[in-house]
Amino acid sequence: MKRRVQHGGIFWLFLSPVLLAFILVIVVPFFLGAWYSFTNWSATARAGETLHLIGLANYAKILTDASFTYSFLITVIYTLLNMIAINVISFGLAMLVTRSLKGRNVYRAGFFIPNLIGGLILGYVWQFIFDNAIPSLGTLLGIASWADPAHLMLAHASTALVAMVIVGTWQYAGYIMVIYVAALETIPQELIEASNIDGATPWRRLRSILIPLTRQAFTVTMFLTLVNSFKQFDVNVSLTAGGPSVIFAGQPIYGTQLLAMDIYNQGLKSDDMAGGQARAVVFFLVLVIVSVIQVALNKRKEVEL
Amino acid sequence: MKRILFMVLAVALAGGAAFAQGITLEQNKPEIDAMLKAYAAVWSKAGNVPLTIKSVGGSSGIDLGTQLKADYAAGDMPDIFAISGITDYQQWSGIILDLSGEKWVTDTSVPFKVGGKVYGFPVAVEGWGLAYNADILKKAGVNPKTLDNLPAYRAAFAKIDRQKAALGLKSVVSMAASIDMSWVTRDHDLNALLSNGLPYGDMSVTNDLLAGKVDARRLAQYADWVELMFKYADPAVLTTGNYDAQVGAFASQQAAFLHQGNWVDPNMAQANATFPMAFAPYGSLDKATDGIFVAAPSFYVINKDSRNVRAAKKFLNDLVYTDAGNTYMVKDAGMIPAYKNIKLSPSGQLSRSVQAWAAAGKIYSWNQYSFTQEFREKTLASIYNQFATGAVTKAQFIDLMTKAFQSLAK
Repeated sequence: MKRRVQHGGIFWLFLSPVLLAFILVIVVPFFLGAWYSFTNWSATARAGETLHLIGLANYAKILTDASFTYSFLITVIYTLLNMIAINVISFGLAMLVTRSLKGRNVYRAGFFIPNLIGGLILGYVWQFIFDNAIPSLGTLLGIASWADPAHLMLAHASTALVAMVIVGTWQYAGYIMVIYVAALETIPQELIEASNIDGATPWRRLRSILIPLTRQAFTVTMFLTLVNSFKQFDVNVSLTAGGPSVIFAGQPIYGTQLLAMDIYNQGLKSDDMAGGQARAVVFFLVLVIVSVIQVALNKRKEVEL
Repeated sequence: MKRILFMVLAVALAGGAAFAQGITLEQNKPEIDAMLKAYAAVWSKAGNVPLTIKSVGGSSGIDLGTQLKADYAAGDMPDIFAISGITDYQQWSGIILDLSGEKWVTDTSVPFKVGGKVYGFPVAVEGWGLAYNADILKKAGVNPKTLDNLPAYRAAFAKIDRQKAALGLKSVVSMAASIDMSWVTRDHDLNALLSNGLPYGDMSVTNDLLAGKVDARRLAQYADWVELMFKYADPAVLTTGNYDAQVGAFASQQAAFLHQGNWVDPNMAQANATFPMAFAPYGSLDKATDGIFVAAPSFYVINKDSRNVRAAKKFLNDLVYTDAGNTYMVKDAGMIPAYKNIKLSPSGQLSRSVQAWAAAGKIYSWNQYSFTQEFREKTLASIYNQFATGAVTKAQFIDLMTKAFQSLAK
């Protein structure tokens, strides 16, 4: 560690633009939002309605709401599926593009590009693929189950969730791949060579060299995929709009509405901004707890060279 | 939350930068966005203040009601905005200006009134029902005039369905019921339950349902009707299709009927669909109901906190009393004017059909907006979607609808 620099004034001066932005767009709205969750805030202008504190009523309502419980469950399922799919695929891609492959820079760029497309647009593009392109392809190739409208992926809640995982993976795998590529390239070449001389199989090399030495990257990628999957919103809105519906606990509700969209709809469609805020606070706490546990677990497995 | 903010910002930017002293109009018809913007530019140049147009709508993901709440929370409420009825009015009752003294009030029969005071400027007269392709019906041997009750529709649909291959049809009716398109079911189709066969403006069934009282016989007949619509629709369009898929199937003559309103006229023109088309009676009941649903469904209201109320009022009056305003409404945007003094007529076939039904007095009212956005978009949309995807039977559909309405009694 270097000795701490003692130029307090300049330190704060250079930090101030970032700090100011951070306070204005993160800290203040965060505490304001938390405060609103204890009020009756509706974001409309009803005559005779005033903003006042209502205590924990918004939180009590969350516990009895089937739609929130359901959204919570499928968000957990979606996050798990997405984490597995993204990490497996991006690690595979990273191994592929770190080999001496012809035109590997083109592949690297190509796999990364989906990440540059906005989630809303991506959702509409993939909606077209699932609803129109795949059935047309099925008709063309004579694959009956692809052309059958009863098998449209977006027509049933469970397959629509899988469709969201496919789109999420397609969007995010290239980004995570970049992190794995960086990690794989730091592995000393002599270790690989030594394993070759010792006659290690590719599987053995993967298990004993590549994965242990990229543990640090795993900590980061697991965290990023966990948080991003949990917060998924834009693809959700444009790809499925929360549909199709399901019956849960005897109530008809949206079948693919992830937590972020549930918060949005509670605030803006149900005229209940305070209720939406309360959900957002719960959402925040859960996400913090889960990601802290995840980082701690992954850190324990990291090895130093 | 970051993404939500970003999206809101993107929508706001798409609407164009705001002028300091100018006024902003936020409306819910994306299909007239280009025409309204062109007219706004002309109006601003003719010695008026700059007018910014923002259009939001066409999907249940982002609609005007949602956008207005975001604007209100951001302290950026437009000067003029559109509302669809009493539940929208209640949301904004604290800031909506009383317009009873305006000149246009005397020239319209359908202003938006609450407690004897006029608050809303009717944007247009609109109608919806089952639009039919007259050529196909003729070839199939179905006379649309006879379709004024459920048994007649049932027979006609079965008859056309048998000749699908010969007529080149993919399905009899083009219907959409995905969550994103749920406004077709939970708003428009629902209204058949609420007002079909009742005198214009009769709220008895609506008020009963709002109080949790369900007429089981009427609901059972209505369920038969919904079943008929879903059974003879293209399942791909029904369960996952968007607006383009639904309207496109009719425009490309792959469906004989379309469950939409006269606002699809511009889409028909774009698709070069020139075949003769009109609205058939909406026969959703066992008894004959010879009419369609016609009303002025959306209204411009003025924000009383606006810094330029005078300009906002002048804009509304200019729509009705200047040639440029009339031409924009009727010729460019293709809307049916809600004002007696305007003699122009829209050129779209379906708009003309709506005018013909209205002129004959064979119309039923729009009552669906008496229910809250939450109830329609979350609860009803989910129930219709369940029935459309085949996840529930008709008996379960009736049961779910009954329970949903009963839950309104408090």
